[in-house]
Amino acid sequence: MAPVMSRRAALKGLIMTTTALALPGVVLGREYGRGAGVPWEPGAADIPYYGTRDEGFLTEAELTTVRAIAARIIPSDEDGPGAAEADVVTFIDRQLAGFYGRGQHWYMQGPFHEGLSTQGYQSEHPPAQLYRLALPELDTYCDAQYGSRFSSLSEANQDAVLTGLDEEEITFETVSAKTFFDLIVENTIEGFFADPIYGGNRDMIGWRYVGFPGARYDYRDFVGHNGARIDLPPVSLMGGPHWTRQ
Amino acid sequence: MRNSVILAALAAAGLVAGTAQAQELAYSQVERGRYLVTAGNCAACHTDMENDGTPFAGGRGLDTPFGVIYSRNLTPDEETGIGLWSRDDFYRAMNEGVNREGQQLYPAFPYTYFTIMPREDVDAVYDYLRTLEPVRAEIPENELPLPLRFRPAVAGWKMLFFEDREFVPDPAQSDAWNRGRYLVDGPTHCGACHTGKNLLGGDREAEYLRGGTLENWFAPNIRGGENGGLAQWEIGDIVEFLRDGRARHTAPMQRMGEVVGLSTQHMTQEDLEAIAIYLKSLNDEPPQAADPITEDRVAAGRSIFFDECAACHAADGSGVPYIFAPLDGSNKLTAEDPSTVIRIILEGAQAVPTEAALGPLAMPAFDWKLSDEQIADVVSYLRQAWSNNAIAVSASDVADMRSYLEEH
Repeated sequence: MAPVMSRRAALKGLIMTTTALALPGVVLGREYGRGAGVPWEPGAADIPYYGTRDEGFLTEAELTTVRAIAARIIPSDEDGPGAAEADVVTFIDRQLAGFYGRGQHWYMQGPFHEGLSTQGYQSEHPPAQLYRLALPELDTYCDAQYGSRFSSLSEANQDAVLTGLDEEEITFETVSAKTFFDLIVENTIEGFFADPIYGGNRDMIGWRYVGFPGARYDYRDFVGHNGARIDLPPVSLMGGPHWTRQ
Repeated sequence: MRNSVILAALAAAGLVAGTAQAQELAYSQVERGRYLVTAGNCAACHTDMENDGTPFAGGRGLDTPFGVIYSRNLTPDEETGIGLWSRDDFYRAMNEGVNREGQQLYPAFPYTYFTIMPREDVDAVYDYLRTLEPVRAEIPENELPLPLRFRPAVAGWKMLFFEDREFVPDPAQSDAWNRGRYLVDGPTHCGACHTGKNLLGGDREAEYLRGGTLENWFAPNIRGGENGGLAQWEIGDIVEFLRDGRARHTAPMQRMGEVVGLSTQHMTQEDLEAIAIYLKSLNDEPPQAADPITEDRVAAGRSIFFDECAACHAADGSGVPYIFAPLDGSNKLTAEDPSTVIRIILEGAQAVPTEAALGPLAMPAFDWKLSDEQIADVVSYLRQAWSNNAIAVSASDVADMRSYLEEH
């Protein structure tokens, strides 16, 4: 490619620039001049995508493994509820079935390099595919090492396997075991704290655990509260039990 | 038309003072007509708004309780419009509700109001309509049940509900009051929406401007005196609402938004004040006392309000005047017929953009996240919160509106 811009290209660029400058004025004038063109119509709320029970990606076997992994990442113990009570697996299953699972919002063309940890997700496989490839390899490893699949191992052995993934002592053939581990940790935390509308954080259990009041957006009434504790029941995008007659 | 403008301008400059006088009168006559056509908001019904129709070319389907009636073409097209109509024909339609062919007109065309307009005003409207570009526009057949397709039936209706009246000023009242009453009862035909109708679609005198239901909207009570729907509105508030499309209490939304956008914002300050002065003189009966709702409904309704509504409307119901409607004392919220408030919660609402207020403030729809019972509880709670004291609504009221909206 010649470093010097051809006259034609320069001309085209000029036209593009002037059009770009002129167009918004015209469009804005017509569409927004009196506000009449601002897109709004009755009954057309922008409902968040959250999937439904029918939309799942994982097979029964995969669900069992993911459920078991999540239950070790956020365990249920005397300190409080874990991924099991929050139904994190449903959250992950729906996410993998949707645009997130397809990596639709990411640049997913090559070249694929390992990248630095600060560079985010670098796998050539979209998240759903990464799960699909990693989970059988995990069970194969567990079977070879302990004679049973991951979900049937003792908690101590499960923790040992997960630690092995995290510290890159265990590797998979088709995908990076570390990448899978990092992703499922992230997804488990998301499933524990995301709005219940997305399937996890059931009954806002994660929010109740940390005392987060949920999807509220106005605290004017508490501006002068002087550091006192605000006790508000958590509220999801779909409300909460306190919205129904008791 | 253009000649007359030029001549009028010359006349104003004093150059051809004598000969131009007739022309100047014609010009001012047309302008007077244009103003009345704007005040009467003829364009709203006589333009196919939903399909970007040509102004005044008709074809908008009016969804009356009796069926769909399509508005006529008011442009001077000879075949499909009123091109062949004489001044007398037009006056007869406005004054008596009879068309050029002598057929009865359905009172969806509000001649029951226009009948009080003096001949000079009606002629001015005619003269203005004659200046429009003729547009050929075939109007669809009305969709009415068989007995109503028989136009002479309207003659019987008229015997019951129509009186060919003249406007008689009340000498005991001010000029402004009389002007306001003339506008309200005549050209601007406020009662067409704001006066309750009987089962045959006639105005109920006892319901004069006490609010009416139309296409599942409740046009609120606009009596401004004691106990009236606008009792808490000052004259200036009413003027701001009609002129700017923004007022302390609320903004015109879907239906009234059209009226303010097309009509009242273009009216003179004097006329808007006159309307306000007249409305403020109308007292009303005290509202029926409401039975308080049960504690469990209060608790659920208050929670929904605090979590979902209070960010804009403020926890104490004071709102943000001119932007987010205060709910304490809102006549839309506490209206006898709760259709509007239920509907706005279900499908949202947008304040009309006007010359004075370009920003189209909108309220989002809640139909996807609130159940019928939840909406009934929050509406009932709000109708009795603070100084409000209106009758509760039921989940089935909400369910009815929800299914109506799904069908429309």
